[in-house]
Order: sequence, then C-alpha cells, then structure tokens
Amino acid sequence: MIGYLAQRLGMMAVTLFAIITLTFFLMHAVPGGPFVSERMLAPEIAAALNAKYGLDLPIWQQYLNYLGSIASFDLGPSFKYPGVSINSMIAAGLPVTLQTGLLAIICVVALGVPLGVIAALNRNRWPDTTVMFIATLGVAIPSYVIATVSLYVFALRLGWVPTFGLDDWRGYFLPVFALSGFWISFVSRLTRSSLLETLEQDYMTTARAKGLKPGQILFKHGLRNSLLPVVTVLGPVVANLVTGSFVIEQIFALPGIGRQFVLSITNRDYTAIMGITIFYAAILMVMILIVDLLYVWLDPRIKLTKAAA
Amino acid sequence: MTDIAPDMWAKVPAGAAVPPPPPPAPTYGQEVRRRLWANKPAVISIVFIVALVLAAFFGPYLSPHTYFRQDLKLSNIPPAFETYAVPQEDGSVTRFFLNASNFNLYEVDAEGHVLGLLRGGRKDIIKKSQPYEFGDQAVTLDYSRLPARLLLEDGTELRPSGWSWNRTYLFGTDQLGRDILVRQLYGAQISLTVAFVATLVNFCIGVFYGGIAGYVGGRVDAVMMRIVEIISTIPLTLYVVLLMVVFDSGLLSIIVAIGSVFWVDMARIVRGQILSLKSQDYVAAARTMGASPTRILTKHLLPNSIGPIIVTLTMLIPSAIFIESFMSFIGLGVTPPLASWGSLTSEAVETLRTYPHQLFFPAAAISLTMFAFNFLGDGLRDALDPRLRG
Amino acid sequence: MTQTVLSVRDLATSFFTRRGEVQAVRGVSFDVRPGEILGLVGESGSGKSITCMSVLRLLKTGGRIKSGSANFEGTDLLSLDENALSDLRGNRIGVIFQDPMTSLNPTLTVGEQVMEAILRHRSISRAQARARAVELFELVRIPSAAARLKSYPHEFSGGMRQRVMIAIALACDPKLLIADEPTTALDVTIQRQILALLKDLQQRLGMAVILITHDLGVIAEVTDRVLVLYGGLVMETAPVRELFAAPGHPYTVGLLGAVPDLRDDTHRRLTPIPGSPPNMLAPPPGCPFAPRCPHAMTRCLAELPPLFGEGHQSRCWLQHPDAPKVDAVHEVAA
Repeated sequence: MIGYLAQRLGMMAVTLFAIITLTFFLMHAVPGGPFVSERMLAPEIAAALNAKYGLDLPIWQQYLNYLGSIASFDLGPSFKYPGVSINSMIAAGLPVTLQTGLLAIICVVALGVPLGVIAALNRNRWPDTTVMFIATLGVAIPSYVIATVSLYVFALRLGWVPTFGLDDWRGYFLPVFALSGFWISFVSRLTRSSLLETLEQDYMTTARAKGLKPGQILFKHGLRNSLLPVVTVLGPVVANLVTGSFVIEQIFALPGIGRQFVLSITNRDYTAIMGITIFYAAILMVMILIVDLLYVWLDPRIKLTKAAA
Repeated sequence: MTDIAPDMWAKVPAGAAVPPPPPPAPTYGQEVRRRLWANKPAVISIVFIVALVLAAFFGPYLSPHTYFRQDLKLSNIPPAFETYAVPQEDGSVTRFFLNASNFNLYEVDAEGHVLGLLRGGRKDIIKKSQPYEFGDQAVTLDYSRLPARLLLEDGTELRPSGWSWNRTYLFGTDQLGRDILVRQLYGAQISLTVAFVATLVNFCIGVFYGGIAGYVGGRVDAVMMRIVEIISTIPLTLYVVLLMVVFDSGLLSIIVAIGSVFWVDMARIVRGQILSLKSQDYVAAARTMGASPTRILTKHLLPNSIGPIIVTLTMLIPSAIFIESFMSFIGLGVTPPLASWGSLTSEAVETLRTYPHQLFFPAAAISLTMFAFNFLGDGLRDALDPRLRG
Repeated sequence: MTQTVLSVRDLATSFFTRRGEVQAVRGVSFDVRPGEILGLVGESGSGKSITCMSVLRLLKTGGRIKSGSANFEGTDLLSLDENALSDLRGNRIGVIFQDPMTSLNPTLTVGEQVMEAILRHRSISRAQARARAVELFELVRIPSAAARLKSYPHEFSGGMRQRVMIAIALACDPKLLIADEPTTALDVTIQRQILALLKDLQQRLGMAVILITHDLGVIAEVTDRVLVLYGGLVMETAPVRELFAAPGHPYTVGLLGAVPDLRDDTHRRLTPIPGSPPNMLAPPPGCPFAPRCPHAMTRCLAELPPLFGEGHQSRCWLQHPDAPKVDAVHEVAA
C-alpha cells in the first residue's frame, strides 16, 4: 500500500512537471511576448517592464526561475494587473468555485447513482424508460445550453431564482444544476448498465441461492461491484466540472476561478493563464489520486496487481 | 397396445430422418445492418445527420441572404409577428408589425415579407410616444406603459389583424440584422467540419500511436503507454484552451487544437485490440484449421476489432462538436463574422433578456445534433457487439 | 412408495429470447430419495442445469417456469412465495455452481461470504458464525481455516474456491445439495479430490445430493441413481449399475460409446454420436434423438414415446412390446 502510494506520488510529480513545462513553453511560444499585443509602448518602457519581470533573461533561465517560484508555491505576478499576484487571484475565486463544484459532485453521486439503480431494477418498464430518456437528454445537451435555457426559464421568466450571484441560497440552484446535469445523466446511465451486468453475474445467483434478502443482495453484492466503474469516472467528473465552470461562472456571473481564467484569456494575461492552468492540473491530480485510492479500497483485486507491477 | 400400424415400426434409413439444415447463419455484416436498422432512434439519427450535412453544405447557396451582410435597420426581427393593417384611401392596405422590444415598426406585405423599417416622426422622450403617418391615417406609438400600444387619432387602440410568419427571414435576424437561418447553416457547416476533420486527425494519430505500441510491444509499448497514462491525467480541455491562445482564433487552429489532443482513447483502444488479436486463441485455431489470411481477416479480426473503433469514432464526433462550440462560446473559436453553434449561442445570450427566441435556434441545433450522434453511437455499439449476437 | 426428499413433476421451463421461445425443459419428473446421490447426465443444452435451477427458481433473465411442481418436504417450491423460498435456499437446500471463479463475489472476503449465509438462517452472533465458518472450512479441508477466512476469492486456487462454495452450500446443514457440474471447471486431479470430498460429506451428513454432470465417469464413480436427459426430456432413468450394464435407450448407449474405458483391452474404438442436439426453438414432434438414432423408426419421428418400465425406465419405442427386437448393447461393442 505504501509502495503503491509512493509510486503514485512519483507519477504525479512527473506529470505535474510535464504540465508545467508544457504550459510554460506554450505560453512563451505566443509571438511577440506579453507587452507587444495592444498598446504600443515606448521601447524604453517595454525594456524596463521586461527587465522587471525577468523577460530579458534567456528562456531557459526564465524557465528555471519559474520552476523555482512554483516550488515555493508562488505562481508569480499578473502582467495585466500590476501588484496583483496570481496566488491572490486564485485565493479570491477559490471559495466560489469550490462551493459550486463540491455541490455539483454531491449531486452527481446523490442523484446519478439512485436514478441508475431505479432504472436497472425496473428494466424496460416506465421508470427505466423515463430515467433513460432524461439521461439521454442530459448527456446530449451541452452544459452552456442547459445553463442559458434554465437561466431564461427559471430566472428571467419564472423569477424563482436570482439571475446571477450567490448571495441568495437559491442562487446555487442553476449553476450547480448546469454543472452537474451532464454527469448526473452520465452516472445514471453508467450505474444502470453496470448494475444490469452485475445482476447477471454468477455470484449474484450464488447470493440468491444462499437465501439472502433482496435488499442484502442488491446493496452488499450488486451495488458494491457495479459502483466500481462509477468510481473510475469520478476523476474525469472533477476535470469536467473544472472546465464546465469556465462557462457556467461566466453565464451566472460568479466570481470564481473559471471566470478569472476566461477573463485572463480575453486579457491575454499570460502569467495568469499559466498559473491557473497549473493550479487546476495540480488539483485534478490530487482528486484523481483520491479516486484511485478509493478504488483500491473498494476492489481488493487491485491491491495485489498494482503493487506487484 | 396393438393399435399401432405395423408400418410404423419400419426402420428409417440412416440419414433420412435428419432434419433439413437450418438456413445459413447471416454474415456479420448482414447481422450488423439488421440490428442497426431495427434500432429506430439510430435510423432517425442517420437520417437527421444526412439531412443536416446536406443542409449545412448546400443550404446557404439556396438562400438570398449571406452570413455576413449586416443591416442594422432590420436587426432583431422575430421569425413570427402580429401584423397591423391600416387601410388607405386608394383602397390599398399598409401592413406593418411592431417589434415590442425596440419599439420599431416594420412594413410587411400580405404574405409576411419584410419590406423595411418605417420612419416615424420625432420621438417624444417625456411622454414616451412616437407619431407615424400612413397616408391620411396618423397612428401614435405609445410605449409609456408596457406592452406598447398603437393609438389611432380618436384615441382608440389599433388592434393587430393576426399572426404571420416572417417570409423574408424565416428564423428572424440577429442584433446586427443578419439572417439567422443562413448563419445557422453556416454555423452547422463549421461545427461539422471541425468535428469531422478533428475526429479524423485524432483517429489517424490514435491508430498510428496505438498501432505501433501494440504491434512492437515490449519495452516500446511500456514507455508509450506510460506517456499515454500521463497525458490522460492532464486536463485536456485546458490544453485546447492554451493552444487556442497560442495559435490565435481561427478555423484551422481549432481543428489542430482539438485534433492534436483527444487521440489518447483511440490509441488505447487500437493498442488493446491489436494486442488481444495477436494472442487470440481463435485466430490461432483458425490458422491451424487452414483458414486463408483473407478469411481470418474478414471473419475473425475485423468483426472483433472494428466495432470498438467505430463506436469510439462516433462518440468522438459529438465531443469534438461540443469542445468546438465550447471554445467558441468562451470566445476562443472562429472569429466573426464566421459563425459556429457555440458563437451563435453566446451571441444569443447577449440578447437573452429582450430576444430570447434567438437562443432557441443554436441551442436546438446543437442539442439535436448531439442527440443524433449519441443515439447513432449507442446504436452502432449495440449492433457491432458480437457478444450480443443470437 | 418410498419416502422422497424432492419430488419434481412435469416441470417445463422455457427461455424467451428475441428469436423465440427456447423450450429448455419439456416436462421432467423425478424423485430424490433421502441420502442418495442422484446423477443428472446429458450433453450441454439437454436441460439438466435448467431443471435444477427451475426447482430453486434461480433462472437467469428470460427464463420462465411454464408448468409443473417441485415438492420439497411437503411444500411446492414452484408456488411458494419468494420470501418463504429464500428461507429454504441456502438453509434446507444448498447449491454448488459450475465455475468457482465467477460464483464467488470478488470484492468480499470468503469468510464474509460463508458467514452471511449462516447469519441469514440462524439467529446467532457474528462470533458464533465465524466459529461455524472455521468449522465448515475444516470440514471441506481448507488448510489453516481460521486465517483463510480473511482472504479474497482471487487469492485462492480453483479447487480451493470450489471448497469454499461447498462450505457455503453446507453452511446450514441442508437436507438436499444441488451440485451443478461442480468439477467441470477444475483440473482432473482436483476433480477427483472434490468428488471424493462430496461423496464423503454426503455420507457423513446424510443429505441427498443431485449431481449434474456431462461426465459419465463422474456418474459411475459417485451416484446411486441416474437420470439421462436429452432435448429437455428424461430419456432414461435407472440405478447406476443397471444403466451401465443394460442401457435401455440408444442415446445412453451412444453416450457410453463415447466414453473411453481404460479397463477395456479389446481396443474398442470410441464412437461419437453423429449429428447435433435438436433445435429447442422448434423441437421435433417425435423422439428428439430420432434424427441421430441408428435404430430410428417411422414411429419415432411421428410420436414421442412414453417412459416404459418401472424402476429402470426408458423413453424409447424399442421398449414397446410390439417393437422389433434390436440388440442395443451390441451396438456399443461393434
């Protein structure tokens, strides 16, 4: 177990290093550099700015400096907002993004799994067809369409919820719904097919042959095994919620990291783009690690094979 | 016990009693086709996709409008409106409709063709009214109370004569006065092009990479798969965003950005297929029994490997459509006046409060297309999976 | 009439698939007497497993019992409500399945899987259940039983897993044990060990066993009485010695001809039965074996024969008093 964890942490470090390197060189491949784009600066001012941010140094030195500052958890200053650090930008947006993201994950698990179970247990009867119809809608309709349409219907037309902001608790409804809609549908479809497959397994017949009660059979033998694939997608869920938050925070005017990121793109604030990307990647990797550990805990077969590999 | 006719005890010659052999089992291709055609949502999806592709690539040529010509005088016209009819002295009738959101009157003909913006007298900002003259008839637009009303000289309210479809701009116009239908079709063209080309690029990279890994095997395979493992933990959408920032927006860059990033799944599947095929017992068995390479390929290898690849391919298309529209939505996709479903949606969101109907068309178009590809993918997966045979 | 543990009458089970109704079992009747091992033998698709799974109502999706009764200790299992039936399963009736690789839940420890069966039917504490599980593991001869309770199925070999399955089936001292091809998925040496174990346990615990197999060697070794199934019908039933000495049905003869006999030094050739089993989507009106039978008569194709005889019964028109005499056993030696 310890060995496995160490191996995973090592992999994470390698991946993160690859991401930082890739991001750094991608951002420095932008023609012209950060101060060329809009206003024509006097050459001496541009030179002074370049010197201030270390942009006059050779690229490999800039790269080493950047790696160094990241190692001390400093993502550097913003190019567009003098005096503002990327760390403070992230710190300002994190609570909003974290709140909506966590609520969305809770919704995915708390709604997606039960709906899938209901569908599987009522295979080809109306609860199944209804759930699967809605889930197909949910998988097909892009999150920003769900967001805008629900914004129009529930906020503008019916006035049930505020159109933007999180000051009111009802303000959480639409962003969380739009963020989690796809994954609730996805997870319910996955749970359904996985449970149906599990129900056909021989060990389910064994469980019935033991005379176990239906509830025991379903929860102890059926669900535990059929939830394994669901756990695997929780990693991608987190990744998707992150990218989903770009548009959702934009549409509902939520001051989170996603909106900050889109704003940085529009502003061509390269250090901010770079910093937020790396921050996201790090968060994701931690999440994926947690999910993998959860998986190992759920499925005893993994322990041996992975640790041996 | 003696009621049995003696001839019933006659021995049946060997082989005579053998029942006729069952009809030959359908070939794999026939089976797949039969299952696919039996799947109604998948068939409807195919029809829809074909119709969409035809409309997207030929539709714009049939329209008198272009996707880029602006006419600010005719902006935000709805696809249907209530017409008012004012009879003239010479017996003719002036027809027009009121755009309730921007308080403009537009002249239309009896069939519902939009003729142009009507010029009224000076707006009275305080009383919130504007006079219009139609020959000898004077009509006052009163927007001091909402909804806005049209008053005749004697103070009575002018009543609309009925609903009419917009015959000039079937889907209406956007905030710059461009025809929404043509922009929709152009958007479809771009979204579909990006999706198909990017999927093809992904497919080629995936087959190449996965093919080499699976075929060479050993150490090369281990290293290549470790790289794939690292890539798959990277949030790829973020990298499409970064690539778009580097490349600058544009059709080609978005194809390259999407095409270069999402090949990992394909590579994995191709490798898995090749590995399993290399070691399949049934392939060895077929070879031992003297089956020709062609027969092994068509009867054993293709049916078992092409399925997952086709399904992954079908599922890649909607995700490419989605990523493209997503990029366009946050302003990183195609540049105006080019349109894609994402940019059309984001334009519609700007006018959501006043002209919500403009959101309907791009939202419906992308959702229906995503539906179609999802249903088709599901249908293909069910049809191609040989395990469900029988 | 002798006392019976299980009495099955006219059982018919079909599977409803997209291609139509597969008539897997078409009216099977048999009795299981206390303390005997009844063998059910037949090719795959003959309906032997379906018969037993129908009795316990453990059919997979699509399977439906169409008619019949299964009387176990005075109650009809086929009309019992699901709840009452589940009180019997794993308690009075134990089951062992063919594939020990897939019949155990991979994510639970084997101890848990044994204990849950005990706890379901006995009101005892977990500690007592654990003690009973250890006892059962020792009974089925799993070494270091107490320690092995915490292992997962994938940490066991196939033979050990089948021992676990047997321990589960025996958890509550069943009156009847149904063993569905318990040795088919195992290596030959392990097969013999498991069979010996089963026979030994049966004698010590005095339970009745239904042993399903396609292997006549297994039948000869452990069973007391045999039921030969073909095309969803009982073709022949007889005490095991009689069946091997004087088979009354050409199908049984064919089966015997397809088995190697190492004691036989006459260099007899193995004779496979030509043809293939009937299509159960549209079973023939007459004897299902007729198309493959070397003695087939016009009558065999027209009408299904009844079971002739008492004690040793055969479903063959050759057993009819008017039938021409054929030396069926002669065919084997030929």
